[in-house]
Amino acid sequence: MAEFAHAAHSQALVRRSPWGELFRKEDWWAIWIGLGLIAVAVALFAGGGSIKWIAVAPQKWSRLADVTQQLKVHGVQYAALFVLWAVAFGIGAAALGIKITRFLPAFLLVYLAAGSLYFLGQWDQAAHYNLEPPLVALGLGLLVSNTIGVPRWLDPGMRVEFYIKTGIVLLGAGLPLTLIAWAGPVAIVQAAIVSLATFGVIYFSAVGLGLDRRLAATLGTGGAVCGVSGAIAVGGAVGAKKEEVSVAISLVVVWAIIMIFVLPLASRALGLSTGVAGAWIGTSEFADAAGLAAAQTYGGYAGNVPGIMGSPDAAVSAFTLMKVIGRDVWIGVWAFVLSLIATTRWERTGVQNKSSAAEIWNRFPKFVLGFLIASALLTLVTRGFDYAAYKKEVVPALVAPLQAFRTWAFTFAFLSIGLTTRLREFASIGARPFYAFTIGVVVNVILGFVLSTQVFSGFWNRLGQ
Amino acid sequence: MRRPDSPSCRQCKHFQNDAQQVEAALPGLSSLSSAYAAVRCSDGICAVHERYVAASSVCAAFA
Repeated sequence: MAEFAHAAHSQALVRRSPWGELFRKEDWWAIWIGLGLIAVAVALFAGGGSIKWIAVAPQKWSRLADVTQQLKVHGVQYAALFVLWAVAFGIGAAALGIKITRFLPAFLLVYLAAGSLYFLGQWDQAAHYNLEPPLVALGLGLLVSNTIGVPRWLDPGMRVEFYIKTGIVLLGAGLPLTLIAWAGPVAIVQAAIVSLATFGVIYFSAVGLGLDRRLAATLGTGGAVCGVSGAIAVGGAVGAKKEEVSVAISLVVVWAIIMIFVLPLASRALGLSTGVAGAWIGTSEFADAAGLAAAQTYGGYAGNVPGIMGSPDAAVSAFTLMKVIGRDVWIGVWAFVLSLIATTRWERTGVQNKSSAAEIWNRFPKFVLGFLIASALLTLVTRGFDYAAYKKEVVPALVAPLQAFRTWAFTFAFLSIGLTTRLREFASIGARPFYAFTIGVVVNVILGFVLSTQVFSGFWNRLGQ
Repeated sequence: MRRPDSPSCRQCKHFQNDAQQVEAALPGLSSLSSAYAAVRCSDGICAVHERYVAASSVCAAFA
């Protein structure tokens, strides 16, 4: 322990340039990788070529022989795609301090498993048997990690957030900036209503149940803003006890995983359109990765399940607008305001926190910048094409390959969620935090449903068309 | 007004904010978030107070 503390002390004494942040946080690496792929794709497209050779993806199949045939024809491309991902994520992981010799073997297994799930999702009977890749990846991962267990050497390759943020940056390339400008304000209004209500319910329920205000705030932000990321941002800003942060993390993860299954199934039972369901999931899920798993699952129902209207991409688009633009970007503001209240109004602890407006930028989820830049870039590149030319030329050569990259990144993340969720390692939650958080979950889900399906339903339905 | 070079948790030997150690100390963190995320800033764990605190914090037990 003394050695451990000394190492940390020595490390902390080294003055680091603020520019170093650009290479020490995974948000920035998600931007470099995502925008790097987009830049290469755009450059090739501008020169009359395409990046599609390496952006290989499984095609629809009905017999196992079809899969074998696809692998035989495209085997080299799949190998090249692995090298591309391994180099990109490997460099990022190494810069973050993860040993590349530990990352690469683990990532190889993640790639192979994700590829198998990607293929499974292309089976023409997959929808009939509810074998949506995100749910299968999650369910399989949870089953393995909580029964036979996952060997520790796989841990370095299972970077859920790294993959999901890279996927979100790539997703920006599929959302025109005009759409973000049109839908963003509505998403912000809806998200603000639900976030404030959910935070208030959780916070005052927790305080009413006799819990510490710092725990109440950590739980509230975890439920209302951006899940585990919200909990650690505010936990640090207000100086919560370590076990309080652990309790908040456990509650968020458990409820987020439950909602991955509940929200798409409930939306399907109610016959919601993809845009409306995506907005509901974006309002009522707790974490980006969990919500994208639910939204992508629901998007997969479009065209496969009778009665589900809207385009497949609308679920993910509406989710992203609601969650990323409506909720995630405000975490710095929440952290600053709550740290200010904690230092001026709440009982003192042994540690004195410093509240500063710089917190708003410091805790800003930087990958959102990559998402917006990607959207702006593609909007700029494609503005000279009419609809017919866009469908004929731009989609196959530029948009579809970037969409394939995105699906790969998301599949790595969905698989990693299940494999890293070891329920037996979670902190003991306790009844009072559970009740406080669960009351907030109920309010959040009901309010999100009413706003998405009644108040703003016309808007979200139009998004899906 | 605190001087920029006055001792804070960032320089304290009781403070641990290495990302891998933070993830090990907070089970479930890497399932749906990450200690490498921008939202965490440089927050870490104080071994004296058993709190999760910002690196800019201060306390009487600085060492």
